[in-house]
Amino acid sequence: MMSSPAEDDSALVAAVLRKDRKATAEFVARFADDLYRYLRSRLAPMYDQVEDLVHEVFLAAWESLPGYQGSGPLRAWVMGIARHKVQDYYRARLRAPESIEDADEEPVAPASAWDFDQLLEQDERRKNTWRVMGCLPEPYRMVLIWRYWEKASAREMGLKTGKTEKAIERLLARARAEFRERWNDAQSS
Amino acid sequence: MRSLPDEEFMERIADEVELTESEAAPARLKAKVYSALVQRQSETGPLMSLTEIDACGSKLCVFENLVRIAPVGERAKSLNICRVCHARVLAEHTGNAPIYWSGCPYVQLKNA
Repeated sequence: MMSSPAEDDSALVAAVLRKDRKATAEFVARFADDLYRYLRSRLAPMYDQVEDLVHEVFLAAWESLPGYQGSGPLRAWVMGIARHKVQDYYRARLRAPESIEDADEEPVAPASAWDFDQLLEQDERRKNTWRVMGCLPEPYRMVLIWRYWEKASAREMGLKTGKTEKAIERLLARARAEFRERWNDAQSS
Repeated sequence: MRSLPDEEFMERIADEVELTESEAAPARLKAKVYSALVQRQSETGPLMSLTEIDACGSKLCVFENLVRIAPVGERAKSLNICRVCHARVLAEHTGNAPIYWSGCPYVQLKNA
């Protein structure tokens, strides 16, 4: 009889905690690709940090494994640790004084209107998003991903970076405007 | 034609474009992570012995099997013997390591 995914997860966790090296290899094999893809997508184009973060996530997961209760899929639990690591990374980068030193400036004017009836095909949009993200200054890229893809609030981001919510909102406003301007440029070129 | 404020524009983009990548983790990264985890495990006490692992039904590599049947104590069979195996070195430093032994965790990770 086949075991359920939950039983499978629990068995793997128990074996890893017993320091069964074969189970540890299975643990790495099962989650490394997902973690790698996720971390690459969140750190792009700063790929040189990705492998270090994959390491950190696995080591943190191993240290926290005794606390895994089995109430949800192990994959989601591991990815949750990865999300925290990404937030830690963003926090450390955004805390650097030069990251948002001009946060008190007024936001730039919104870019021109966007016609969603003429949106490019899904693949083209994805490529364009990557292209634009890759050109943005690092603080802009991080706050946009943190806010819109990781769904963090400006208040939460402010608390984690030691900045005021207002400063984060201003940084977000500039990042959005820059993103949109570059997006429109890419569309028209 | 609809005009959207920047905030809504970004929300739409984030909803419609999933920031995902398709590239798999390099095998040498998986090997390094595995080595680091087993090393960390061995620092906090002996690993599960090769006798127990075999009894659980897991497949051992030829080197591990030699240690398992050797006339040594269980403590020696709980050592992290991959530390002295050339398969580990190859796997950690080569993209497509020339290692093929059945039961070797580095081969498993290479093929994962």
